[in-house]
Amino acid sequence: MTQNLKRKRENQLASRKTRKVEEEPDDETALDVEEHGGNSGAEDGLSDYGDMIEDDAEAEWGGVTGGQADVGEEHRPGTKPKKPPTGEELRAIKDAADLFRSGSFKLQIDALLPNIRPKASRIPPLDRILLSLHTFLMGIPSVSPQHPLEAARKLLKKGVAVPYSLPLPTEDTNWKVAFDSPSDITLAGSWANKVSVKLKDGLKFGVDLAVEMPNSLFQEKDYLNGRFFHKRSFYLATIAAAIQNPKSGFNVEVYYESLLEDVRLTKLVLIPKSDGPHTDFTKLNAQVNIIPVLSPSSPIPLHRLSPSHSNIRISANEDAKPPTPLYNNALLRSFTPKSHLLTTYSLKEESPAFADALTLLRIWANQRGFSEGSRFCVRGFEGSGPFWVGLLALLMKGEEPRASDSKYTKRRPLGKGLSSYQLFKAALDCLAKHPFGKSPLFVKAKDGHRFPPEEYEGHEAVLVDSGSFVNLLSGVPLGSVKLLQYEASKTLEILNETTITGDPFTEVFLKDNRDLSTRFDVVLRVDLSSAKPRSSSIQTTLDSGSTSTALMSSLGSLVSRGLGDRVQAAAILHPSPAARSVSQAHPLVPDVIVIGLVLDPQNAFRLVDHGPAADDEDQVALNDFRELWGGKSELRRFKDGRIIESVVWEVKTADERAHVPAMIVQHILKRHFGLEEDAVQSWQSSFDSVLRLPESISSKYLASGVSTGFKGAMTAFDNLVKAIKALDDELPLTLSTVSPTSELLRYTSVFSPVPLPASLATSMPPYTRYLTPIDIVLEFEKSSKWPDDLRAIQKIKLAFFERLASVLMESVSGLKANVVIGAGMQESDIIDKAYLEIVTSEGWAFSARIWHDREATLLDRIIDDKQKVMPHIATTKEVKKGKDYSEGLLAKELYIRRFIHAPHHHRAIAALCHRFTAFSGTVRLVKRWLASHWLLQGHITEEAVEIICAHFFVGDGRKLAIDADAEQAASHLVPSSKERGFATVVQFLAEWKWEDGLFVHLYGPKSPESSKPTAKGPTEGVWSISTEVDSDGRMWTSHGPDMVVAFRVRALAKATWDYLQGLEQGQLNVQSMFIHPTDDYDFIVQLDPMALARYHHNVAADHSFLSKQGKYANQQQWEVNADVLPGFDPARFLFSDLQRIYADTFKIFFDPYGGDRFGGVWDPTLRQPRPFRVLGGFSSIPFAKESDKAKEKGLVTLNEEAILGEIERLGTGLIKRITVQSKS
Amino acid sequence: MSPASSINGFTLIPVLYTPSTTHYIYARPHSSSKAEIHSVLPSGRTLFLVNIPPDTTERELILLFKHCGTVERVVFDFEAKEPHHEEADSEDDEDEDMEESDEQPRKRRKTSKSDIPTVTPLPSTSLRTLRRTGRPAHIVFLDSSSLDRAMSASSKPRPWPTSEEPRGAAHYRALYASLRPPLDVVREHADTSIELYEYQLAKEKQKSKYLKGDAIVDEDGFTLVTRGGAYGKTLGGGVGVASKRFQRAGESGRYRTKKKEKKEKEGFYAFQKAEKQRSALMDLKKKWEEDKAKVEKLKASRRFKPY
Repeated sequence: MTQNLKRKRENQLASRKTRKVEEEPDDETALDVEEHGGNSGAEDGLSDYGDMIEDDAEAEWGGVTGGQADVGEEHRPGTKPKKPPTGEELRAIKDAADLFRSGSFKLQIDALLPNIRPKASRIPPLDRILLSLHTFLMGIPSVSPQHPLEAARKLLKKGVAVPYSLPLPTEDTNWKVAFDSPSDITLAGSWANKVSVKLKDGLKFGVDLAVEMPNSLFQEKDYLNGRFFHKRSFYLATIAAAIQNPKSGFNVEVYYESLLEDVRLTKLVLIPKSDGPHTDFTKLNAQVNIIPVLSPSSPIPLHRLSPSHSNIRISANEDAKPPTPLYNNALLRSFTPKSHLLTTYSLKEESPAFADALTLLRIWANQRGFSEGSRFCVRGFEGSGPFWVGLLALLMKGEEPRASDSKYTKRRPLGKGLSSYQLFKAALDCLAKHPFGKSPLFVKAKDGHRFPPEEYEGHEAVLVDSGSFVNLLSGVPLGSVKLLQYEASKTLEILNETTITGDPFTEVFLKDNRDLSTRFDVVLRVDLSSAKPRSSSIQTTLDSGSTSTALMSSLGSLVSRGLGDRVQAAAILHPSPAARSVSQAHPLVPDVIVIGLVLDPQNAFRLVDHGPAADDEDQVALNDFRELWGGKSELRRFKDGRIIESVVWEVKTADERAHVPAMIVQHILKRHFGLEEDAVQSWQSSFDSVLRLPESISSKYLASGVSTGFKGAMTAFDNLVKAIKALDDELPLTLSTVSPTSELLRYTSVFSPVPLPASLATSMPPYTRYLTPIDIVLEFEKSSKWPDDLRAIQKIKLAFFERLASVLMESVSGLKANVVIGAGMQESDIIDKAYLEIVTSEGWAFSARIWHDREATLLDRIIDDKQKVMPHIATTKEVKKGKDYSEGLLAKELYIRRFIHAPHHHRAIAALCHRFTAFSGTVRLVKRWLASHWLLQGHITEEAVEIICAHFFVGDGRKLAIDADAEQAASHLVPSSKERGFATVVQFLAEWKWEDGLFVHLYGPKSPESSKPTAKGPTEGVWSISTEVDSDGRMWTSHGPDMVVAFRVRALAKATWDYLQGLEQGQLNVQSMFIHPTDDYDFIVQLDPMALARYHHNVAADHSFLSKQGKYANQQQWEVNADVLPGFDPARFLFSDLQRIYADTFKIFFDPYGGDRFGGVWDPTLRQPRPFRVLGGFSSIPFAKESDKAKEKGLVTLNEEAILGEIERLGTGLIKRITVQSKS
Repeated sequence: MSPASSINGFTLIPVLYTPSTTHYIYARPHSSSKAEIHSVLPSGRTLFLVNIPPDTTERELILLFKHCGTVERVVFDFEAKEPHHEEADSEDDEDEDMEESDEQPRKRRKTSKSDIPTVTPLPSTSLRTLRRTGRPAHIVFLDSSSLDRAMSASSKPRPWPTSEEPRGAAHYRALYASLRPPLDVVREHADTSIELYEYQLAKEKQKSKYLKGDAIVDEDGFTLVTRGGAYGKTLGGGVGVASKRFQRAGESGRYRTKKKEKKEKEGFYAFQKAEKQRSALMDLKKKWEEDKAKVEKLKASRRFKPY
């Protein structure tokens, strides 16, 4: 403090005294508050749901969250605060940190909220129109009672249809419909309580106007057979007709809108047309909803409306009275608007954070499609305002104790002083953990509930409001609720993630999460227009209101039953139907729906579904099972002797196993709704096909009977290791370890690995005889016999290889081994370049390298520029930082990557593949995608791709550490299908700001290994992908992608992502996502497919080349020397030579998987004339200009033609032609 | 198009790839003041070329300048200036023996005596070496008149000659094969290389003054004490030898790890406590203000409009 005061004194000598006086009390309060904050911080730090139940005493101070906004204003943001914070300020800061996730989280919430509420300045015109509407509605003349059909006909003449529900009134009905002016009109819903939240896709705010129908219109028996609804419809239609009448003076358009496509829940929607400024509320973007309601004193008896009552009597059989829960619930909804209004109001009064929490919750829900929207939204959540209020009411008021079940531990009410964020999180927690569908929820009501929980059995999920009228989740399919739960757990997981990679705020509130491809593992697009339900009972149709709603609900439940525990959620999605004109009585039904599945990877790919045993007592269950599966259900005898009714899904390949859930849905749709395959669209098999060899090639492999696939590769590897180990006596040193480092041995190569035995090679076209070598690293026991010189070490390695090759060939018959002395480029003597190439008799190729750890030390000596000798010893030579140094750097980098990081990386990735079923597929798809867009290998390494993909599976790394059962709970963020994984990665690449880098917890917290050594050197790459062992994040990205390529990746990912959205319209063609657009290349080098080695890998291979054989003259010549050349890919060689030769002249792109074109882009700076330099590093031509001035300056420019000529010469026999593309 | 015949002192030599495509090579007589270079590239009869085609072979250059006179030899990439190009001066790495110095490869080979084991080279095939584009080369003519002729040659474009080395697909096949030499050749090569290495090692030892057990005494009579071996290199003991760390860093390790003791105790005086508390509060506020500024900035970019 003394120092502080000194500083002050210098600054403000004049006001010294006053300053001092002022400061004293300030500090005191500050200290005081800090103590206080410290105490409570300990309690508030635990923001778990359970801990949020606070005492009232604590709640008192915690509730003060307002005030800080203006307190902070004193200091301009960004300026350095000079004064210590005042007490009040301090409290605000502490609150933000304790009650919210962090200070900045709170500030972001504050910034968000005003944006989704209606603008106050635009409300007055609405108020004026509401006032006049009130007067108008009160003054609508009465209509005397008349026959419903007759009344409808009269209204139809005015252009208004009466939306009568089923069962429709007939000519011989003996009751009458009438209209009388409403007994009361109230503003209800969220608007009245000022908790409206803007809707997605520019939909309008709803201003609910509850119009109370007078009691005189109703009779006691009106609850029966839809009579109430008919009367309500007529009432609504009369109002519609009156408002539509031009004489009414309202310049509005009138529409009907039915909640959940249920005609019984129709409301009248008034949308303003823009007219004078007085009553024009178009700018507010709102609509007025007129909802007819019943007064609490109406003659309709409530006790008749319990969920178990049957209120539709159609059959003469009086005994069979199936309950009509949906019908009853719909009727009860007419009582709720006012009661909900009051509940919301009292909650808002009770807790200051309620309104904000509700808003947050609804933003969250809107972003995930649990509301109206014109994109695909989750079914059942239109107009779900009361549900969200009910959910918060449940938290704040607690749960109704159960009289019947004393053991049931009820939810206790939360403290009133919770912040909006805490309430929001508690709501998510409740959603995530409550077993909906099994146990109903009752919000605590003042005088207990009207109907006992047992009566609600007819509903799928139950949340009864505090007024005890309705089940707020009625009409919401259980699948949708499950999806809601899944999303809630997902969000909780994001919020709980310890490492902050990216801002959770954006993910939770700002991002539109409705994209089908990243949300669901399996997406099926179903056209319902031809659907014919197999069994439909009149009773259920009448209960749900119409055939379409009945169809939808039975579809949802049947699909869920069929999938069982294979899915975490199976939801139906469709765009919310738009409002319809009043001349149309019945709601529009969506034709196309999407069934989205979130798989449970543990069970999803099971091949057999077990049903009840054949001799089961329970005949009903047996019949149910048979009815569900139809012909698929068979009696099967299992190994343990049981004879069980079961369903078996037949798959041919491992790929197909991933299709089982989709197959089940398709089967159910076909059996129960008559939907043939062409009505159901799915994309899985087209994604599979890009990873598969063409039929003509794969059939040859099948026919030859060689063991293929990753399993085959592993076996071949194991055999080789055994063979080498057996040779220990023959080798000067014992082999200690063999580490695989190839993608073929970690399940992540694009194509499933295949061997190429010589016998098969002759039958294949020459341009498909590519054999991928599998990289392995040999490590021998430590020995002092190694020479202490880098060059000699490389020579010793040659000797080792030679020895190994000869003894291997002796001991294993059919095996061929070759020492490869380098990659053909000019390489230095100290770099590790030689390897042993082994081709086993089955046709697998391996390339083995030797790891000698002394190399690292020797290389370090070269690189380390400090002198090794003491300064006073005269050194004879100048220590030159020349060639040796640069070679040393290169060699060191290669050494570290090849021998230290690669084996480590391999192990981690292989482990991930075992743990997450979808991981390998995701990596393969992403690799294929990058390759087909000419980026993989040439610019992006495979390892970098693997790490990026792993990011979405390991999350923050905790999953790798915890046990298997805990893992399951924490797997909500992990994609369970490769399609979803692919979409996730593409979306990430489209948005990734690579400047920020990416940290991937690839190795998990289990390995607290210190960061492995990484070579430092100049890097061109801009991506930084760090892991626990590579803190710089450049290990796999040091040679690319550079800035240009990184932007290209982003642009391609964006385009692909946009294209993926075509899924919603059903226009997605997977194949075309892998076709590269070549318009923006300066020149295209077209290769001759016949001269390639792996044309069969080409994404768009011409199949006539692959199937026809012997058509070409040179075929015969190839047949003679059908040598298997592992890794021989001339196109790839040419590509890397061109890339090296013209590194500074152009960027070149190429698909390593059988691509038959190169694309090149000139360095734009070289095309400008520039002065001649001796080491310019590019092929130049004197810049021809008329004036002599240019000649004097010696300007030169790029000699494009000559370079293309050189390329053509370099690729003689490979290149067909070069096309120069002029950019328009 | 009629480009100038010279640029920055370089004569242009146009070369026709195809009748319509012309490549330009820039030529200048080589001149160097350094004596050691002179022996390799004698000035007066050496031509310096820039921007030779990347797949140039020695033969092709000889053919191109045949009309000027006999070419003694061609030197590619002589003493590359930039140290970061890996391919600098290693055209004959594969069949070169273990050279310690990269300065004068040719001279050394001449002086090697018969008792030095010779390395059996790996089979060299005549394959093109693909260099980076725009690289220089030196051509040494047999006599200086050829140089003048080369410089004064008319700028009439001549076609680029071809030598018999394969190109394109054939080149890659040949290269692939040449990288996989027969096993016995590899063994021969490895064995002789190691022999040479051992010979050199032995020779090095002979030459070295640092014989174990012998003290090194310089002209002034000082004994050099260095570290090494079990007893140090100087027998007799009793002399402390600096550790390797000291040699490297110039500082001793003993006191380095010791932490500096703070003079004042923390939290001893009341004002220290108050100061600490105050600064903690200030930090808190500063962070809050920073957060605020950040959110304000995001707000300005309209980020908080979720939809």
